Amino acid sequence: MRTVKQAKLLRLHFSEGDHYQGTPLYEAIVNRCKELKIAGATVFRGLVGYGETVEIHRHHLIRNDQPIIVTIVDSEENLARLIPEVEEMMDTGMIATSDVECIRVLGPSTPEQS
Amino acid sequence: MLQKGMAKKVTIFINEDTQHHLESLTDTILTFLLHRGVAGATATRAAAGFGAHHVMHTTKIVALTEHLPIRIEFIESAQKVDELMPTLYDLVTDGLIEVQDTQVVKAANKDRPLPPKALRSEIRGAARMMRIYMGESDKWQGEPLYEAIIKRLRMMDIAGATIYRGILGYGVKGHTHKSGRLPFSHDLPIMISVVDLPDKLNRALSEIEAMMQDGIIVLSDVDVIRLVHGRPLTEPPNANS
Repeated sequence: MRTVKQAKLLRLHFSEGDHYQGTPLYEAIVNRCKELKIAGATVFRGLVGYGETVEIHRHHLIRNDQPIIVTIVDSEENLARLIPEVEEMMDTGMIATSDVECIRVLGPSTPEQS
Repeated sequence: MLQKGMAKKVTIFINEDTQHHLESLTDTILTFLLHRGVAGATATRAAAGFGAHHVMHTTKIVALTEHLPIRIEFIESAQKVDELMPTLYDLVTDGLIEVQDTQVVKAANKDRPLPPKALRSEIRGAARMMRIYMGESDKWQGEPLYEAIIKRLRMMDIAGATIYRGILGYGVKGHTHKSGRLPFSHDLPIMISVVDLPDKLNRALSEIEAMMQDGIIVLSDVDVIRLVHGRPLTEPPNANS
């Protein structure tokens, strides 16, 4: 039986060089998502990009400054809890949301979570 | 050019020594099919066999080797087969003609781009985007799941798909996907994004769902601005170049 749920997709764009209290920002955000019991989060690294500061983000010899995208899919209420927290952690960057339909594929090994 | 999908397969059984206007009937039929633009036809000589006359044709007895059975096969669209059938019916004076339904899975021609490729450039406006999240170590019948999915999508003529590898993540299974100390740790998050028309994507969706053990599939409405197919429709390069 396929269950299609309305959900939200949240995308956070920032730089790999961003830090939050000493840890890389993307790690800090993923950890915060776990604390807030968000369904899942995935971090991607882009090749080249630019943003608000018009500085090109790319791979440098010594320091990494490539663009980072974190994508999170969850219900609207859960994301509403997350967004203010993330906003506070991020220095510069962009937060985008979009409406999606979500299909969860659960194997026999993973029991349905309530 | 033969298209993917349902078609007809015609098999003709005749004798090798059957003549048609002083020419071998096999040659006559093949020439006829060639001139009428049939996509392809194959004639094979059997090792042994018998037909309505109940005489064994075999290579083992020299006197009978001239009567060996010949099998001509070709696959064409139902409409084309209908056009050809009256002439074939007329030509085969001694033998058997059989038609069956068949499904063309792939009709590839390396000199010419496939016709559906050209049509695909017309996708414009509203379309659907599908994102599939999984782990890099997920397997489907022994091969990496993401590769299996991409192959399946390609076979279904989906416009395009891209695999992304994440650097960190967690999801349904609860454990963190993270590259370890070793450079060949292979359990990073994988995301496949696919864009195509809604009905095509729905067909692909049910197939992919069956292949996945766990994970998440996300669908959203998107606007496609432009989609130009990679190979321009030009004349094929010269064979001797």
